[in-house]
Amino acid sequence: MSPSFAAAVLTSSILSGTSLLYATLGELVGERAGIVNLGLEGIMLIGASVGFAATALSGDPYLGTAAAAFAGLAANLLFGYVVIARRANQLAAGLTLMFFGIGASALIGRPFIGASINGLSRVDVLGIGSFDTLVWLALPTAALLWWLLFRTRWGLALRAVGEDPAAAFAAGRRPETMQYQALAVGGLLGGVGGAHLSVALTLTWDEGMTAGRGFIAIALVIFAKWNPLWAVAGALVFGGAESLQLELQARGADVSPFVMTMIPYLLTLLVLLFWGWNRRSAAPAGLGRNFFGVE
Amino acid sequence: MTMLRFLLSACLLLFFTLSAKAADTLTVGAIYVGSTNDFGYNRSMHDGLLAMKAAIPGLTLLEAENVPETADSERIMEGMIQQGAKLIFATSFGHQDFAFNLAQKHPDVFFEHAGGWKMAANFGNFFGATQSAWYPMGVAAGKMTKSNTLGFVAGVPIGFVIGNIDAFAMGARSVNPKVQVRVVVTGSWSDKAKEAAATTALIDQGADVVTMHVDSPATVIQTAEGKGVYSIGFQSIEARTLAPKYWITGLGFTWGPFMTDIAKSVIAGSFKPAFVRLGLGQGMMAIAPFGPAVPADVQTAVNAAADKVAGGFNPFTGPLTDNTGVVKLKEGETLGGDKMGDLDWYVEGVIGKAK
Repeated sequence: MSPSFAAAVLTSSILSGTSLLYATLGELVGERAGIVNLGLEGIMLIGASVGFAATALSGDPYLGTAAAAFAGLAANLLFGYVVIARRANQLAAGLTLMFFGIGASALIGRPFIGASINGLSRVDVLGIGSFDTLVWLALPTAALLWWLLFRTRWGLALRAVGEDPAAAFAAGRRPETMQYQALAVGGLLGGVGGAHLSVALTLTWDEGMTAGRGFIAIALVIFAKWNPLWAVAGALVFGGAESLQLELQARGADVSPFVMTMIPYLLTLLVLLFWGWNRRSAAPAGLGRNFFGVE
Repeated sequence: MTMLRFLLSACLLLFFTLSAKAADTLTVGAIYVGSTNDFGYNRSMHDGLLAMKAAIPGLTLLEAENVPETADSERIMEGMIQQGAKLIFATSFGHQDFAFNLAQKHPDVFFEHAGGWKMAANFGNFFGATQSAWYPMGVAAGKMTKSNTLGFVAGVPIGFVIGNIDAFAMGARSVNPKVQVRVVVTGSWSDKAKEAAATTALIDQGADVVTMHVDSPATVIQTAEGKGVYSIGFQSIEARTLAPKYWITGLGFTWGPFMTDIAKSVIAGSFKPAFVRLGLGQGMMAIAPFGPAVPADVQTAVNAAADKVAGGFNPFTGPLTDNTGVVKLKEGETLGGDKMGDLDWYVEGVIGKAK
């Protein structure tokens, strides 16, 4: 492996891993508050289409990204109302949200298919490389989220709700409020993750363009053991697997293209094999359970 | 109650007058697997049908986009038949079985399916002969490249796609024997993020002309344009608007004349089912206008190659060896038509493995 090859794979992994990282962080916050959101794919799609549409309309990719974040937030709060206030089953509501997102994003993005936009500009920081703003903000976002979750009273309360909402309630916290807050942050991040695909990476909108990345992000939360810092590693590994096979092909590696497209999944299996699983799993104890109050 | 009955009969009367009116001219139904403004395959089909509509006064066109390749498509086509459609264009490969079922059920409705093989008295099949048409695209790329490296982003490595890559490479090497074609397979007909990453990877490897065979050429063309790299389009010739500076040329489907002929034959009552595969110069494939950066001598060479193909030249004529030196076509042997689907080797000059 020549250094230029390693550098190219790393650059490409960072680029394709960024949207995964934002989405993973978004899901992670929600799950820390006890809510599984299988609709992440839909949130990302809404973010991607709203981001693209707003950029095309305003000509400003930053405004577009902000619009995507708020669209993701709004959609996630809708999901929140269903599972928190109406206490619907989280898995069913999540899947419904996914289908809602597929349809809504197609509707929003439809007039904009084929539009040309100015993407997020790339900035060179300290000679490390030339990346767009969302890439540069990804690591600080993960670090900030880690600090919020593990070093602040707000984070403690949020995690307490995720472990045992009744106990958190007894300690004077309102589980519903914490969960709404977590889902708001989660939707914001999921929307940004989707926007990175359309506004920074491809500069196009296409129906279903997330191509399953929302579900990979949900898997990454487990891989990351519900820790934002591990999510960074996870997103890099998954993004890296995807770019590795594309970069290998561009270099004319003497391997069948069918084996190449298997690489990301082979790597995933290997990682899971060595990463393993232990009894002291970090999964929040109250994950996926509805809180019905403490009567 | 009488009021209700009156309303009902009024509605029925209205319905019959309307359908009687519609029967005077032809109503054509069309289903697309994607969106018609994708600058790609679906756009080309939509443009063809619009050309048909413009050519036949009074013709009614019913269209449905994003029709999945499932039983849903059958319901949507059935609905079009209920609205009076007598001719249906099922434009995606996976619509074949569902359109065929309906053709059996409605012997008075005519069907044309794109890219399949099924045939019946009221069911025909059509597609462009793409492989040989890629040859002049190769000539364009071979003339324009400075680095002698061309990049090809391929969706799924089926025989027809490999045939396109091979013909592209042969065209390029016919004018520039030093050219090498690098191929990246994304494994999907539509995954924008991978297409962007693949294009970047190819450009990093020195490719200064990139092209693609995926559903929509938009991402590859826009990524190349952003990096100041030449691109060659495929599917719809309208993709050129995405690359005002670095567009070379492109290959697109022109379905209009064929669709018009079919609609006229249905109106005249002379529809004959046929298995149609037409290429350059035969009305189903066209070369897009050249971009501003393409010199006159390159344009002449590309047009000459296109004329050669239109005149019957088949690049898949032996002797031909694959990129490991094994003889695949002996002197005098040719490859074409349906056999392209089984193609699983790259010609000399293509880097990589086809299977």
